[in-house]
Amino acid sequence: MSDLDRWCLDALSVDFDGRFQLDDISWTIQPGEHWLIAGANGSGKSALAAVLAGAGDRLSGTCSGLPDRVALVSYEQQAELIEAERRKDDADILDVISEGTPVAEIIDSVSQDDELAETLIDALGLRPLLDRAFRKLSTGESRKVMLIRAFTSNPELLVLDEPFDGLDHDSLWWLQAHLRDLAKTVPMVIVLNRFDECPDFITDVAYVDDGRLLHKVKRDDERAFAEVRQLLHLQTTDLELPPGDPAAQLPSLNDADPLVRLTGAAIRYTDNTVFEDLDWTIEANEHWQLSGPNGSGKTGLLSLITGDHPQCYVNDIQVFGFQRGTGESIWQIKQYIGYVSTALQWEYRVSIGLRNVIISGFYDSIGLYGKSTDAQKAIADQWLDLLGMTGRFDEPFNSLSFGEQRLLLIARAMVKHPPLLILDEPCLGLDDINRQLVLALIERICTTSNTTVLYVNHRTQDQIRGINNHLALQ
Amino acid sequence: MANYFNTLPLRLQLAELAKCRFMHLDEFTEGVDALKGKKLVIIGCGAQGLNQGLNLRDSGLDVSYTLRAAAIDEKRQSWKNATENGFTVGTYEELLPTADVVLNLTPDKQHTNVVNTIMPMMKHGACLSYSHGFNIVEEGMQIRDDITVIMVAPKCPGSEVRAEYVRGFGVPTLIAVHEDNDPNGEGLALAKAYAVGTGGHKAGVLMSSFVAEVKSDLMGEQTILCGMLQTGSLLCFDKMIEEGIDAGYASKLIQYGWETVTEALKYGGVTNMMDRLSNPAKIRAFDLAEEMKDIMGPLYQKHQDDIMTGAFSSGMMDDWANDDAKLLGWRADTAETAFEKTEAGDVEISEQEYFDNGILMVAMVKAGVELAFETMTDAGIIADSAYYESLHETPLIANTIARKKLYEMNATISDTAEYGCYLYNHACVPLLGDFMKDIKTDVIGKGLEFADTGVDNARLIEVNEAIRSHPVEVIGAELRGYMADMKRII
Ligand SMILES: NC(=O)c1ccc[n+]([C@@H]2O[C@H](COP(=O)([O-])OP(=O)(O)OC[C@H]3O[C@@H](n4cnc5c(N)ncnc54)[C@H](OP(=O)(O)O)[C@@H]3O)[C@@H](O)[C@H]2O)c1
Ligand SMILES: [Mg+2]
Repeated sequence: MSDLDRWCLDALSVDFDGRFQLDDISWTIQPGEHWLIAGANGSGKSALAAVLAGAGDRLSGTCSGLPDRVALVSYEQQAELIEAERRKDDADILDVISEGTPVAEIIDSVSQDDELAETLIDALGLRPLLDRAFRKLSTGESRKVMLIRAFTSNPELLVLDEPFDGLDHDSLWWLQAHLRDLAKTVPMVIVLNRFDECPDFITDVAYVDDGRLLHKVKRDDERAFAEVRQLLHLQTTDLELPPGDPAAQLPSLNDADPLVRLTGAAIRYTDNTVFEDLDWTIEANEHWQLSGPNGSGKTGLLSLITGDHPQCYVNDIQVFGFQRGTGESIWQIKQYIGYVSTALQWEYRVSIGLRNVIISGFYDSIGLYGKSTDAQKAIADQWLDLLGMTGRFDEPFNSLSFGEQRLLLIARAMVKHPPLLILDEPCLGLDDINRQLVLALIERICTTSNTTVLYVNHRTQDQIRGINNHLALQ
Repeated sequence: MANYFNTLPLRLQLAELAKCRFMHLDEFTEGVDALKGKKLVIIGCGAQGLNQGLNLRDSGLDVSYTLRAAAIDEKRQSWKNATENGFTVGTYEELLPTADVVLNLTPDKQHTNVVNTIMPMMKHGACLSYSHGFNIVEEGMQIRDDITVIMVAPKCPGSEVRAEYVRGFGVPTLIAVHEDNDPNGEGLALAKAYAVGTGGHKAGVLMSSFVAEVKSDLMGEQTILCGMLQTGSLLCFDKMIEEGIDAGYASKLIQYGWETVTEALKYGGVTNMMDRLSNPAKIRAFDLAEEMKDIMGPLYQKHQDDIMTGAFSSGMMDDWANDDAKLLGWRADTAETAFEKTEAGDVEISEQEYFDNGILMVAMVKAGVELAFETMTDAGIIADSAYYESLHETPLIANTIARKKLYEMNATISDTAEYGCYLYNHACVPLLGDFMKDIKTDVIGKGLEFADTGVDNARLIEVNEAIRSHPVEVIGAELRGYMADMKRII
């Protein structure tokens, strides 16, 4: 394969009328590849597809080897054509009501293969509509016309943005079969909202988020493929956070008390002081980010709050209305806290099923020692749905990938809707996709629950919308 | 002081040995109330002392430590353990006179000395607790009449006591009240609250006696729990080296093998562990275990007999008096063994491979568990107790070997257990000498050859039946069932 055969976008940034921008796109399409572009709404996946057909104004970077004949089918381009037809009408100075361009002419004007056009017209049932004005067609009908135009234009590259949208059942079947056939000779890039429609011939997936091409994944890399699919699910699902368990209400907190108040807190060992004189108050619904270099005591500080640090008994700590060291038990504290950290994940070396891992959050235990209720099981299953892990309730926790385990532990921490959720470097040790999965989940929690989030991270790029307070340890 | 057990008439000896009742969770509804607001002072901050104290404090109790003056002056490890964990530490004079409950968690060897020193300082009507009954039963320590004497003995190394608590669970625990010292009849309530404070009630509590605890605890730790694992490690390693197996592989197979194969015990006893083997391997393991049981039977009986008569404890006390000469010598010998000195190799061994290539190890665990159990119950110890002291605790001890080999095991168990472990090993290694001569890599190191994988149906049925019907399996199924029940009630 020579360099000439492949199509290359290199550090390309493209502007779309100042409304939207694609940034720093580097992407190579090799001969024999068929790509799927995936991403949430507004992520820029349609824009990326359109760039292949020459859309947008290039700001920087290069684009090399792209073929001349790129056929694009997209909602935008369909709308443009209809709009152009309308304008033709408006521009008509004759006092005659225009019928608009008939379908036959719309097809003819681009078709390079009339025989093929005839076949496709029959296949898609457009023959009765050939004389109808294009702009008068329904969306589905005009979409079919756009497809025929693309197929008959003798394309070197087919770019299809949501080709299955709005098609009736029979046409959908036909189109899928046709694309499968066409894939043998024509390279394709297809934009889809839903992974379950992904055609078999797709070899690669490009994942777009916020105008950037974030992941390129081979179809046969099953794990990465599943992760991208899960990420798309988490960013697009309209499932809500499952509710708490009404039968397991926490003893209610006094609204006047802060969740946490540390006064002059310190952690000291015989030969060093990690920090001292630290005052910190966390009020309900004030999300906090805690940062600081390694060894600055971030985890130590958190564990003073959770009660996992033995020196919580020699500090002036008030949590959830308890002054520490006055006869309260650690379980009375922990019931108000959801907690996730890498250390917890190391500790959570159990082979119980995923559903039980989530339920263990109701009991603040590692592993499940209590009998769970049917209501709790149902809630756990809703969490699995939200995570895009529907039906996997019996899978053993320790067989999951590291990233999936992390998601599960976040669900476990949130299952009881604790007043305080502590996330200690929740992205640590995760690759890009998994990091985004975790961030997507946390963002959902921050924006749609009553839980106060305390988030520890020193990677500045992993910021979370909705967290406005910041404590930095030195 | 005389051996307390030996002063009892046979009738009472038998009655005390037979005291053992599995307590149900609903007997613990009062939680830690009986200890709330009381001042708990722990003497010693080692394996049990530190970890029990952390749990009791996290359960809302008032815990502080008293250490001998030298430990405080020299800021020894025990002092560091207590202070870095934010506990108040004080001298005997400072803390004991106001203590409501004094938890004696010093090494057994020190008990006579420690208890004689602290008793005069304890306030009238206070409670003295132990985690092992050696001092009371074997040394016949007499405690002031006004003092309540109880025992709360976690059936686990101290590190596990803490780890399980943190996970929201606990470790099986044996509690007892010394009948001669229960002046106010509050011993049981205190012991129960203490067990709740350490989390033990979640995992199962046996209500027993000082006598039954000592006679079964010593037997278990000397034989299957520590002794058998040590002997097995040394023999299996040397055999593999002799047969040309890579030393790093052999070291790893043993170091992590005990943990892996005994993990299966937790879920379904010996039956489940044996079921992890292929049918032909199972039959081989069964036969090997039978052979070893024949050879080792008299040794197990000797250990139990010596424990019952007090010969074991007086022998160990002689060693105490002799500056631990034997203990220290054996400890040094262990450190010099080829197994201890060979690091685990950087090789992948799958979970199943530990079973397939460790048939002899599985057979050793089976033989040891069954023999220890049989010998204990033959001596009048109740099956429940014998189960906890044999099968149940084996995986917990095996975990310690996975961490840092025999060194770690012997460092985490009590000095008494360590002494008993070496004593057993010293006798068992030569005893299995001839048996080991016939052992080849098919049962340790490589796994069965394809050629010897035929199985006779009738024989397989017979073997399965024999495994399943062993009394340790019967009581095991019942007790594991209780624990599952308890989980359902919570
Ligand atoms: N380890 C186990 O697996 C286990 C399990 C169940 C029950 N138990 C029982 O728990 C008890 C404690 O055993 P352990 O293994 O925890 O002991 P350990 O780890 O050896 O700790 C003993 C502690 O006692 C202190 N100590 C030693 N000699 C002393 C003396 N003469 N006076 C005052 N303090 C002294 C030591 O501190 P300094 O030397 O710094 O003073 C140390 O902190 C024993 O009765 C044992 O049988 C142990
Ligand atoms: Mg023991």
